[in-house]
Amino acid sequence: MHDLTNAVWIELRKATRSRMPLFTALGFLVLPCGLAFFMFIYKYPTFARNIGLISAKANLVGGAATWPYYLGVLGQAIAIGGIAVFSLVESWVFGREFVDGTLKDLLAVPVARANILLAKFLVVALWSLLLTVMLFLVSLLFGAVIGLSQGTAEVFWQGTATLAVVACLTIVNVFPFAFFASLGRGYLLPMGVTLLVIVIANFIVVAGWGNYFPWAVPALYTQAGGKGNLEAASYLLVLFTGLAGLTGTYFWWRFADQNR
Amino acid sequence: MNLPIETVDLGKRYGKVIAVKHLSLRVAEGEIYAFLGLNGAGKTTTIRMLLGMIKPTWGSAQVLNTRIRPGSREPWASVGYLVETPHSYPELTVFENLEVARRLHPGTAPEAVGRIIERMGLSAYADRRAGTLSLGNAQRLGLAKALLHTPRLLFLDEPANGLDPAGIVEIRELLLELTREQGVTVFLASHILAEVSRLAQRIGIIHQGHLLQEMDVDELERNRRRRLLLRARDLEAARLALATAGYPAEMLRDGTLELTDLRSLEHPDDIASLLVQVGVPPMQVLVEEEDLEQYFLRLVGMNGGQNHA
Repeated sequence: MHDLTNAVWIELRKATRSRMPLFTALGFLVLPCGLAFFMFIYKYPTFARNIGLISAKANLVGGAATWPYYLGVLGQAIAIGGIAVFSLVESWVFGREFVDGTLKDLLAVPVARANILLAKFLVVALWSLLLTVMLFLVSLLFGAVIGLSQGTAEVFWQGTATLAVVACLTIVNVFPFAFFASLGRGYLLPMGVTLLVIVIANFIVVAGWGNYFPWAVPALYTQAGGKGNLEAASYLLVLFTGLAGLTGTYFWWRFADQNR
Repeated sequence: MNLPIETVDLGKRYGKVIAVKHLSLRVAEGEIYAFLGLNGAGKTTTIRMLLGMIKPTWGSAQVLNTRIRPGSREPWASVGYLVETPHSYPELTVFENLEVARRLHPGTAPEAVGRIIERMGLSAYADRRAGTLSLGNAQRLGLAKALLHTPRLLFLDEPANGLDPAGIVEIRELLLELTREQGVTVFLASHILAEVSRLAQRIGIIHQGHLLQEMDVDELERNRRRRLLLRARDLEAARLALATAGYPAEMLRDGTLELTDLRSLEHPDDIASLLVQVGVPPMQVLVEEEDLEQYFLRLVGMNGGQNHA
């Protein structure tokens, strides 16, 4: 346990000393800013047209300046944007050891590699959760400033719970990208795979098989105010994906030749 | 005898390329063992196999009486290492990088960080980010990480890289002190024979993955080729006179006679007297000892500038 605490301390120190938390936070803030922009337009369409925010041809059908709609779209944004941002965090935490040439200092040490890896995964999870909390708080602030309607306690509780589940599912879903960062010894492979996964998820959802594609599950969960049409197998697939990421990364660190 | 490092038939193959083959090493406790070879000879691959970073294709290795297996936690609490270019976390300070290294070696006292900073001459840079260090100071930081937890065995891969002459002397003295006073064993990989010959007790020469020769430093001195070089106005007459007197001489391309027999090397004065007597007085008589680099290149089959006619 002491080894794990030390390993977590090390990973936290590396993360907090870098600029990555700032960059990922700024990147993630694009989502509530974009959403708030649309909420503002839905709330004040005439004013938005008059000041030139939107053109006369803008199609505003389908949206509403309400808390349920806002939080629902926010969940979708986290489900899709989260894959990109959380996998960026994961790619950096794992890939940097190869890019910076520091991997060798983690290998022949009296701390089990499992502890070093577990600490990395814990920091990725914590970092991703903090990003989600930040995004949620900023979104609440924007929603309040715009003055969205239908803001009942039940709406907030349900919205919060949905976002928490979506964030957790997405965090578990990005664990395999640690394996790709290790396999590719850097950032390019995991980021490429992330892009591919997002594109494939869109196709699979359109084809109606999204329930069985783990990276589509968080987005489907947000539909119909949480749970969507998911079945137990969908959650098990996400769990299996996360475990596959953990074990694949461990075995790769344990048995692959480390030449860097 | 206690052997901190012992390998049996150790080897590594990458596809069709054999990086290391049939390597059987025995390094004694408290010894500085220099592992000498050109770039790509297999030095770093060997060190990585000894550190459990690379799986051997053949054979086995024991370090501090522990059989090395990839991913194992033993025996690293007593091992320090610097493999290839030293890298540190660029956004962390020198102090923080060493604190990271300390926490990766549980049981190392927090005060060890301050001590090693002072010992390695890094006090002025303790709060500086590692990414801004000069090559020499980055090397010092790498060495500090290797020495932080007072290991019994040190693997150092080109430890003098990037250091200025004063730094090289300083590190040499530090390593000698560690072996003499604390009985630390040092496995030192280098491609500079002159440098390691001042430090090591034993030298192993590796070339294209094969261990060509292992010897004590004294033996190295004995093995180095000596020759007597001689110049005269009439070289052919001098050569004939020497041959007649039983001194075989060879004409070199640069207009010099070369004698390598022991009698000539130990009595160059006799050669000079002989040539004066036959009327071909020498203009130059010089006993030249092969330098370490030439010896090394001769041994690995890359004859360094020998110019026989």
